[in-house]
Formats: sequence, C-alpha cells, structure tokens
Amino acid sequence: MISQIGSVAISLAGGLIFSSFFFLGLYKYFNNKSYLLVAERAVLSTCYSLFLAFFCLLNELLVSNFNLQYVAQYTSYETPTFFKVTALWAGQAGSLLFWSFITALFTVAYIFTTLKKMKNLKFHSYLILAFIFSFFILLTNFIANPFEPVSSDIIVQNGNGLNPLLQNFFMAIHPPILYVGFTGSAIIFVMALAASISKDISFEWVQSIRRWSLFVWTFLSAGIILGGYWAYNELGWGGYWAWDPVENSSLMPWLTLTAFIHSSMIQEKRGMLKKWNFLLATSTYILVILGTFITRSGIISSVHSFTAENLGPMFFTFLALLVLYTIFWFIKRKSYLDTDDKIDSFTSREGGFLYNNLILILMCFTIMWGTLFPILSEAWDGNKIYVGASYFNQLNIPIGLVLLFLMGIGPLLSWNYTSKSVLLSRFKTPMISSFFTGLIYIIFSGLFQLYVFVAIMGVAFTLTSILGEFYKSYRKQKRSSNFFKSLLEMFLSNRHKNGGYIVHIGIVLLFIGFIGRAFEVEKEFSLSPGEQIYFSNYIFKLNSINSEARDNHYAFLSDIDVIDNNNELLTNLKPEKRIYFYWNSDPEKRQPHSELDIYSTIQKDIYSIFSAYDAKKNIGYFKIMINPLVNWVWIGGILMVIGSLFAFWPSRRVI
Amino acid sequence: MNKVTTSILIVFLLIIGWIFYLTNIKQDSSLTVRYYSISELASELNDIQKVKVGGYIKPNSIEVSENDQLEVSFFVYQNDDSVKVYYYGIRPDLFKDDAEVVVSGSYNNNLISATELQTKCASRYEGDLKNIEKI
Repeated sequence: MISQIGSVAISLAGGLIFSSFFFLGLYKYFNNKSYLLVAERAVLSTCYSLFLAFFCLLNELLVSNFNLQYVAQYTSYETPTFFKVTALWAGQAGSLLFWSFITALFTVAYIFTTLKKMKNLKFHSYLILAFIFSFFILLTNFIANPFEPVSSDIIVQNGNGLNPLLQNFFMAIHPPILYVGFTGSAIIFVMALAASISKDISFEWVQSIRRWSLFVWTFLSAGIILGGYWAYNELGWGGYWAWDPVENSSLMPWLTLTAFIHSSMIQEKRGMLKKWNFLLATSTYILVILGTFITRSGIISSVHSFTAENLGPMFFTFLALLVLYTIFWFIKRKSYLDTDDKIDSFTSREGGFLYNNLILILMCFTIMWGTLFPILSEAWDGNKIYVGASYFNQLNIPIGLVLLFLMGIGPLLSWNYTSKSVLLSRFKTPMISSFFTGLIYIIFSGLFQLYVFVAIMGVAFTLTSILGEFYKSYRKQKRSSNFFKSLLEMFLSNRHKNGGYIVHIGIVLLFIGFIGRAFEVEKEFSLSPGEQIYFSNYIFKLNSINSEARDNHYAFLSDIDVIDNNNELLTNLKPEKRIYFYWNSDPEKRQPHSELDIYSTIQKDIYSIFSAYDAKKNIGYFKIMINPLVNWVWIGGILMVIGSLFAFWPSRRVI
Repeated sequence: MNKVTTSILIVFLLIIGWIFYLTNIKQDSSLTVRYYSISELASELNDIQKVKVGGYIKPNSIEVSENDQLEVSFFVYQNDDSVKVYYYGIRPDLFKDDAEVVVSGSYNNNLISATELQTKCASRYEGDLKNIEKI
C-alpha cells in the first residue's frame, strides 16, 4: 500500500512540475502575478510530493517489503536497521530519489528565505528549478524507479543484503553529506543565473549567495574528507585518495566553489568581477552534473562501479542543456555584468584573491583534463589512454604548493594597495620562520626531497602568517585581563574572517598530512604463528591465528605483537580475514573481506592487513604499511568544517 | 605597457604553456598507459612494456601456487578472447571467477606480468536476487 503511495507521489511530482512550466508561461504572457503564485505553489507541491515519496521508500526499507526490487536488492532481514536506512542511497534508483529529495529540501528553504527577500528573482528561479526537477523526476519515474515491483513470477524470501564493505558508519554517512553539497550547488547556480537574467544583482544578493556557498562548501568538504576516511579505514590499500574519476569529480566542483567564495568577496567589497563570479558559480553545478555523468554513465572505467543503465545519454543531454543555457545568458548579459572598476595593484588583497582563483582554476582544469583524457584521446585517434595517479601528483603537487604559500601571503596584503615597506615588515616574521624550518629540515633529514622541503617551508610560512593575524587582532581587541575571555571575544568579533583563517589552518594541517605520503613504506610477507619479521624499526611477531564463526560471517583472527627498538611492546594488532555468506554452498556467493587493524598516533599509523590464510600449512599472509602523519589529514579536515561553520553560522545580532 | 597588462600577459602565456604541456602527456609514458582490448593483445606478437587491460576472470582458470599463496596465474577474457596473467602480491577481496578486473603490467610472450591488479569495487550489489521461489 505504502509503495503504491510512493509510486503515485513521484508521478504526481512529475505532473506538478510540468504544470509549473505552464503557469510560468501564463505569467509571462498575461503578466498576472497570481499565475506566478500558482507556479510557486506547484514547485512547492512538487517538493512535498518528493518528501512523501522519500518517506514511503524509507518505510518500505524499514519493514523489508521485498516485493519491491530495490528493497530486495539492497537489504535483507539481517541488515541492521541503521543500514536499512542508509540503503536509501546504496543503489542507483534510491540515490536518484534521495538526490531529488535533498534538492527539494533546499528549494523549500530557498523559496521561504532567500526569495522572500528577493522577489525579482522568483520567475527565473522557478523556471530553472523546474527544469532541474523535471530531469530528476523523469529519471525516477521512467529510468530508475525505486518503487518498481519484483517480477510477478517470483516470491522473494529474503533480500540480498548490503555489501559488507558498505556496512561502515563513515561510508553510510559520506554519500548523503556529499549529496547535500552537490545538490546545494544547484541553488547557487539558480541564484547566479536568476539574478543576472533579471538584472538584479544587489549587495544583499551577493551576501546571500555567499552564505549559501559557504553552507554548500562545508558539506562538500566534509563529504570528500569522509570518503577518504572510509577508503583509508575500510578498503585496505592504505591510502585515502587515488585520483579515481569518481574522486576527481567531487574535487572539481569543490575547487570552483572555493574560488567563488574568494572572488565573490571582491564583488561584495568592491562590486567587481561579476562576470568571473557568474562563471564560477554556474560552473560549480555544471561540474557536479559532469561528475555525475562520468560516474553513472560508465563512460570512463573506474573502480567505483555504477552499472550503466541508460543514464549516460540522459545525463549528457541535461548537461549540454545546462551549459548552453548558461552560455546563452552569459553572452546576453555580458554588458550588464561589466564593471568599470579595475584592480589597481597586484600587491593587494584583490590581487591575492585573483592569484588564488587562477591557481584553483588551473588545478581544476588539470584534473578535468586528466579525467576526461581517456575519452578525448579515444575520440581523437581511437587509442584509449589511461591517465595514472602519477599524472595528477606530478602536476598538482607544484600547484598545490603555490596555493599553500598564497594562503599565507593573502592575509598580509591590504585591500587596494600595499606599499613595499608595509609588505616587507609584514612578511618578515613568516619568512624567518619559514627559513629556519627549512634549515632544520636540511640539517636533520637524511634524504633531501625538494617537494617536502618546499612544503615544510610553506607550512611554516602560512601558519606563522595566520597565527600572526590572530595575535594582531587579539592585541587590538584585548579588553579584559582574562586570556581566554579576550581570546573568545577576538574570535567572535569578526567571525567571517576568523572562520576563514581557521579553515586555512585546517588546510595547512592537510598539507602536513600530505607531506607524510612521501615517507610511506610498506611490506608484504608471510608468517606462521610464532614467527617474527623485522621491518622499518619494528618487530612484528605473529602470536596466533584463530578462527571464529560470527553472526553473519566467519573470521580468521590474527594476533600480531609490534615491538619497537627498545624491545618494548608497542601495540598489538588484530587484523582479520572475514568470509561473509560463508554458509552459502555456492563458493561464488561467498565474499572475503579483510578487516584492517590500524595503530594510529599523531606521528604515524601502523596499518595492518591480513590478506590471505593458507589453512593447510598454517601460514598467514600480511601487509604492513607505515604511514606517517595521516592523522593530520583528518584533524585538518575537521578544522576546515569547524572553521566554515563558524564563519557562516548566523549570529544572534542578524536575527 | 603598465604593470597590470604585463602581469596579465605573463599569466596568459603561462596558461598557454601549461595547456600545451598537458596536451603532450600522451608522449610521457610515466604518466599514461595505453588501454588494450584483449582481442588486440591476443593478436599482438610483439612485446609491450606497459599495458593496461580490463576484462573478466575466466572461470576455473585461477591457479594459486602451492608454495606461496601470493603467487597466482589466471586468464582474463572478454568475449571470445583471453590472455594469461601472472601476478605476485596481495589479491583484492573480490578476486574470484568472473569478477571484473583491471590489470596493468608488461606483456611478454603472450603473458601479462602484472604489477597491479584491481577488481571493480563492488560498492554496490547489483545483480540477480538470490533467495527467491518461482511461482
């Protein structure tokens, strides 16, 4: 019954969204305000129908209604309730409905907050939103319908269940957080277009779109970091980023959005760069759709599999329409977006932001080139070329290092113009700190690595510069004698700026984590119980291998002592080899899974994988990696999110 | 020419140079590998230093060495063609008959000596329902 309601709800959403086009047309034709109101209600009702459909699917997953293909495919009676909920976005059909659901949430928020204040944007906002909705609703109704029943000649006794790899808390929450970022960029897209088309770019609009951007950025960043965290802790290849097309497609919009957040500040302060900002704001959503197209069409082979249903051509058409629409209005509104004001000097805050923009766009372009190169090359001469991680590392590391320094230089520049003497006095401390850190590296490092050297200097430079800024505003602000109280006051005095600096510190910490990658070592070996092996200043001693039948899998448990140089027990690692569905008589259906064990400290992680077990000879096969500084990536990521929440959280004064 | 125009010009030249560099990555064999189809390799007589091949593991072709569990050979097939692969190292969890794999390494004497073996990440269970009863 509930599933029928859900099915009706998505059809209803389809009808409603098409009726909104009709009423928007009537409004344009008769210029009668009441039609616009009807269109608004049609869009809102579409959103409500999508909410209904979403909760129907949720209900069916929770009650395990295996008459639905989707429910039977992604859950089983044994699936824990939490993962029944997360099955909402485990498959194609569900994730598309989920996508529409979040877009609907954003749309309702957008209509009731932003559009309440900026009434002139209504018409074009509804038009573009209706277009976006109709695409996703079309997919949900006709191509990937989550309410599709199983074929009528079978009875499903139990569902397939969720892949054990996905039964991980971080994997469960990573897609929705990322989706919030992805779909949220639609609002930025709509706002940028609507304001330019209706020639209504106001100061209020700039502030509002900036708030939306920060919100979206927070989720995008958190989603990307969580994805890395999951990969590191669950997948067992010892890394968190592999330059896979799927990862790249989440990074590209992040880069353009980051650029937009910076350059829109210039528009806010001086009304400049409108054209550039228009392009950044719109391309963010376009890149999101490009990424979705790449990952769901199967056009680029990636280890992340989304089996290609006929989504490729659909997404491509949608993408092309978005691009054409954007370009059309960009050309038409070019003169409106022109500004007379020019940047006076390149040693100014504006100049700094421009360099930052340039670097971010260069990075985005480089990544896009590498991601799309296989397709381009195949179209060019028929040769399919695979672009490896080495391409992305080789090209992005230098760009990233420039960015690292820029983050330290930016805060030292004043708006409009910075004189040479001021510049010199401000650069002094960061330069000195950077110089000495570099010197220490040269003295104490056995092996000189250029990138590590430059990165360490960059980290020192930027940290000193930002902390210096904090210190300066602390001294200016200081009123009470209580250190913590005045520190808190300082942070709260300019949340926008301070939040931004906290994000930057987070990114510097990320870089510290990245530096660690240069020192990673790994070893694969086999051991029998009682044997030990020496590797990278540690002794790894295998005590025993036991086995145990558990609820939904069978596990081989290893027990490894890690002994350090002083012959003291550092830790005990227990990586497991699990076989899910081990009771299945068909060996095909059994699924092995390596459960990692990681000894994690602030300096380094000892990462252990139990990769195979030879029961006859009682030999275990292991892989150990020593990954320095990985924790800094997560700490930096958390700081980024905290900083950006701090920056955009509405203050009491505003309300 | 004032400073601003000069800077813009320099930036512009840098971008052009960068794009030019990017378009040439195909020549750089440390960055890119050519994807071969299995039928192409099956008819290839010469040795190739770097190949990347995608396909499925031929059922019952996986042979794990008696002495060392990390040593394995198997056939990758696509349609009617197949090619033998040798690999030493940890195999991904999803490595089994008919699994989709991507293999890269060198190709000598009709054999791929793989340095890298990846299975398609089954982040999702797609496929037929298992516990069903026909009516």
